[in-house]
Amino acid sequence: MILIVCLDERGGMMFNNRRQSRDKAVIERIAEIVQSSKLWLNSYSQSLFDQSAISLEVDDNFLQKAGQGEYCFAENISPVDLAEQIEKIYIFRWNRHYPADFCFNLNLAAYKLIAQSEFAGNSHEKITLEVYEK
Amino acid sequence: MKRTKSLLLSLLLLLLLLVSGCSDSATAQNENNSDNINPPTITSELTLDDDGKNASEKYQNVANAQEEQGSITDSAEQKQPSELSQNTFSLADVPAYNGKAYVAINNNEPFFSQADYTTQSFERYSSLDSLGRCGVAFANVGKDIMPTEDRGDISSVTPSGWKNKNYGDLIDGGYLYNRCHLLGFQLTGENANEKNLITGTRYLNIEGMLPFENMVADYIKETDNHVLYRVTPIFEGSNLLASGVLMEGHSVEDEGEGISFCVYCYNVQPNIILDYATGESYAEGASEEAKDETSSNTNQPVAAAPTPESTPTPEPEPTTPAGTPVETPTQTADYILNTNTHKFHYPDCSSVKSMKESNKEYFTGSREEIINRGYDPCGRCNP
Repeated sequence: MILIVCLDERGGMMFNNRRQSRDKAVIERIAEIVQSSKLWLNSYSQSLFDQSAISLEVDDNFLQKAGQGEYCFAENISPVDLAEQIEKIYIFRWNRHYPADFCFNLNLAAYKLIAQSEFAGNSHEKITLEVYEK
Repeated sequence: MKRTKSLLLSLLLLLLLLVSGCSDSATAQNENNSDNINPPTITSELTLDDDGKNASEKYQNVANAQEEQGSITDSAEQKQPSELSQNTFSLADVPAYNGKAYVAINNNEPFFSQADYTTQSFERYSSLDSLGRCGVAFANVGKDIMPTEDRGDISSVTPSGWKNKNYGDLIDGGYLYNRCHLLGFQLTGENANEKNLITGTRYLNIEGMLPFENMVADYIKETDNHVLYRVTPIFEGSNLLASGVLMEGHSVEDEGEGISFCVYCYNVQPNIILDYATGESYAEGASEEAKDETSSNTNQPVAAAPTPESTPTPEPEPTTPAGTPVETPTQTADYILNTNTHKFHYPDCSSVKSMKESNKEYFTGSREEIINRGYDPCGRCNP
């Protein structure tokens, strides 16, 4: 599986069961990454892609169901238990600090940073996209 | 005659009902006031004022604009928000600081009442009390009241408890206190509004309040929705330094799906002991003599906290009370540093006007400090 996540500058993902942040530019980038493939996600994340043409596969157990080479967008779920199956990770970093009570806990030491780029978001001055591969 | 009698009786009954109603309402109000902030604070005694010119003008401008656009459809939307009348927050319920800058209160459910919710932006600030302390600041933040210009200088405001000291390497940036916006600048664009600035530690500002302001600001920019947002400084007794702030936020149009929180942020600074009565401070492990110089209303020593990552304007106090671990510069002033050209200027220098905000660093301190950082004085204003 190819995992896509958004993190704040301390690895935070959620606070009080709500995403820390969002940006229309990130949705556009995800569309560019996924292209015509489908994107697995759960019902919580679905509304983020309401205006997007991405083909969605909504399932609350999507991490378990996604196959090799398939894209998964995770916001409120830990991928740690399925670390073995994660071939590639796209991390969008907000470069800001938000409150957090749910953080990304996958150890990136097992992955290699293969690409890094920055772009301006809609509401974020600078978003960093990092790509990791096993 | 009979008709007159009946009319008189009706009037009497009406009068009785009115008196009874007022009495109930007054009782309820008093109960609320006494229950709201227990044990301490003065906030229940405060009433919200429209902020002198800015807030009321903004409020009016927004209202006018919305009326013109026909977006005010319900008179209920125009009513004023409740203050802390529904609030049952008690400082006694807040756990002692244990290394985390904020803690969820009331299961992260804000204390707003249904009547507070509106799709009309507003911002309201409390008048300072007799001790010069801020009270609750309340807003319904929408894009229309968010700032369109860069932040200005706020150093003209001296909030209660402002006894700043430079602790050198103990605190990122050196200085203990920041002038903390109750309603963050990025939300309502208030600069040197004394009703919106409290003395807060750098830790409160950066680790406690800023993350919530960031979250709310981004959400509004992305959705164009409103967030009902209230910040209440909590003062115990007649303390001049707030113990912390209660922060509440709830997104309006999606009924809290995007934003909902109720947290208490601690006004503490790792490794520093604060005297909340006065704002004086000393470093943990400072000499007994230094401790004696400060009065007894101090916080508990705290565990190490993460190093703050950003750099808001440090705002020093030129005095150097006993026990200060780092000697404070004797001659300080406000300067603007150009991080691109490495020149420094007086704030009113004409070069500052043409400087990109991203290149500006607001600095208060001595000329020598800036020069030691590798900056040269501007040839125009010759600071």
